Amino acid sequence: MESTTDFYNLIDALKADSANSLGLFMPEITLCVFIALFLAVRLVTTKLDLFWVALAGAVVGLVSSNPLQLCGGNVESEELFTGLLVHDGLTIAIRSILMLFLVLFLIFTKISGVPDKEDGADVYSLVFGSTLGMCLMASANHLLIVFLAIEMAGVPSYVLAGLIKGRKRGSESALKYAIYGAGAAGVMLYGISLLVGLSGTAHLPTMALELAQIIPQAGLGEQAVLCLAAVMISVGIAFKLSAVPFHFWAPDVFHGACAEVNAFLSVASKAAALALLLRLAVGLGSVPLSEIEAPQAIQQTVEAHQETVQTDLVPTHLVSLEDEAVSGSDEDIDVKSSEPVEAQANAETEAPATEAEVVEAVDPRLEIKQAHDEALSPVRNFIGLLIAFFAVITATFGNLAAYGQKNIKRLLAYSTIAHAGYMMMAVTPLMMMLGTDNNGAEQAASALIQYIVVYVFLNLGAFSIIAFLRNYVGSEEIEDYSGMVKSRPVLVICLALIFFSLVGLPPLSGFLGKFAIFASLADGYSTAGSSALLVLLIAGGLNTAISLFYYLGVIKTMVMGEPDESHHLGDRPVGRIEMAYVVVVSIPTVFLIVCWQWVAGFADEAVKHFIS
Amino acid sequence: MLLIGTVTVSWYLAVGAVLFVLGAVCMATKRNLLGVLMGVELVLNGANMNFIAFGSKVLRPEGSLGLDGQLIALFVIVLAAAEAAVALAIALNFYNNHNTVDVDRANELNG
Repeated sequence: MESTTDFYNLIDALKADSANSLGLFMPEITLCVFIALFLAVRLVTTKLDLFWVALAGAVVGLVSSNPLQLCGGNVESEELFTGLLVHDGLTIAIRSILMLFLVLFLIFTKISGVPDKEDGADVYSLVFGSTLGMCLMASANHLLIVFLAIEMAGVPSYVLAGLIKGRKRGSESALKYAIYGAGAAGVMLYGISLLVGLSGTAHLPTMALELAQIIPQAGLGEQAVLCLAAVMISVGIAFKLSAVPFHFWAPDVFHGACAEVNAFLSVASKAAALALLLRLAVGLGSVPLSEIEAPQAIQQTVEAHQETVQTDLVPTHLVSLEDEAVSGSDEDIDVKSSEPVEAQANAETEAPATEAEVVEAVDPRLEIKQAHDEALSPVRNFIGLLIAFFAVITATFGNLAAYGQKNIKRLLAYSTIAHAGYMMMAVTPLMMMLGTDNNGAEQAASALIQYIVVYVFLNLGAFSIIAFLRNYVGSEEIEDYSGMVKSRPVLVICLALIFFSLVGLPPLSGFLGKFAIFASLADGYSTAGSSALLVLLIAGGLNTAISLFYYLGVIKTMVMGEPDESHHLGDRPVGRIEMAYVVVVSIPTVFLIVCWQWVAGFADEAVKHFIS
Repeated sequence: MLLIGTVTVSWYLAVGAVLFVLGAVCMATKRNLLGVLMGVELVLNGANMNFIAFGSKVLRPEGSLGLDGQLIALFVIVLAAAEAAVALAIALNFYNNHNTVDVDRANELNG
């Protein structure tokens, strides 16, 4: 009899959970609806130009992801769909960046003329599908979703790389991307299976809790398995980030695919992969407060003061908590929606009536959390050092390899690799400070978001200029662009500004992004005192210096070189619309210093409840 | 001894590990594109073996993944099918342009 009641309680809780989750899942649902629409239209006719429909879809996605929420104030961290996804400031921020990028990207493809009308529906559905995967990457809270999201973002990109039919290079780049991608995903899945098996759950916060109990008494074998699993998972993420030594696909794919696809691959997937890296690193490195059970008596005191909690949810929650030990799967069905409310109540120390009890109630949970976080410090160290290792060799190798490049797309591919290295640098101080100095850790995460905001739109501008120049010159070799400044001054000046900004020359926006990351490295070094951070800081500084020269080389060819129109093969002039687009994308991004306050505020707000 | 011993999780893990290693070796050494794709499938199924073994309550009464393990395996099977479809389409496209599916012939882009 009791089990029937439990069952109905469970169903009710699931219904409430789904209803709540669907509302916060609107941007993804919008993308799904439009993908279905594109596919349906493609069945009926191939003549329709779907650009305006796609643009409308992207705008609806942007509006429903509602970036203004972040300006408004407190966005609580909330688990969706029984803990598979998490919805917090970081989700909103990355999702908004992706959607804004999608809008600009669609306009860019329309102007540059790739894809043509016939392929439009296919390409839009692939791009939307890939973006959907990236949104999931930014909000993953469960290792199944981590894997699914990586594949959802990856598989459409493989097809996009071979977008232009009948071109040998395009098919070759798609082939390489697909094979390397599938291999990396397979290795990552095996790593996930080991980690999941050892901790007995795939839900990230629960996993952190389990790891905190396993690690202090782990034998050599268990430690070896954990390290192996972490390395295998990092293979999958390093592939997505094109981090050395899993970068070898990037230059070939960028060379073979068209510049439009490159913009999508280099920018959007980088932002999403970094968000995923943040989620995994922080998820495994600390136990969120909402995950910790308060001792029973105190929990009841807190509940007595909870008028806002829906009373029907609480019994289910307690029942499932007791079942937790019996079955791992119940853990996922367990509705967490009542817990954040408690945590919120605990955090609101200004509520005068309950202050005494709240202070009492907070203490034991914080103590437990501290003990858990203490136990997890080897995990944080290991992840931090692993990422530091990847970051240093990625940034250095990317910058050095960019020197010999003759093709502008290959050069930008290596520049992308180098920037992935800089961005990964921010995660190491985050991991080193987590648990001891949460403010510093938040600053590091915020620095990463600031860099992503700058980098996404800089690279979009760079690739759009390259696509327009390709349409005009018919070539992507750097030497064919010599003397370009005389015929196309606007494009060349914008490209020069973007390149200087990518190097990080003050007062351009790239400098501010780099400065934020280096500042958090220095901050981390002074608090945590890890020499790895000092190495990172030095490597970052040196890399910034050496990266200056190859960017300058391109600009020098374009400005000082002799114009040579003889082998220009392109037939499309660079018109006003192209120039307007380039100016609109690049100038505000480059001079972001004017409203840097706003960007920094956005990033701070995004990571506010990320580390609890 | 093998016939009378109790089957534990580690037996399944051993099979999974063997599948994984075979798949990885297959990916690294096969020069035929279809062979490489078979290697990928082996790797994914090696991981699936782990998930199912970890999810079994018979093999692992304590600390089992429960239904999660089986569900993840189902998702991975579907995903592997989708990935294979895309990879085969790309292989066909490559064949149309190069008249071969030898991965060593994909050497136009390098540097």
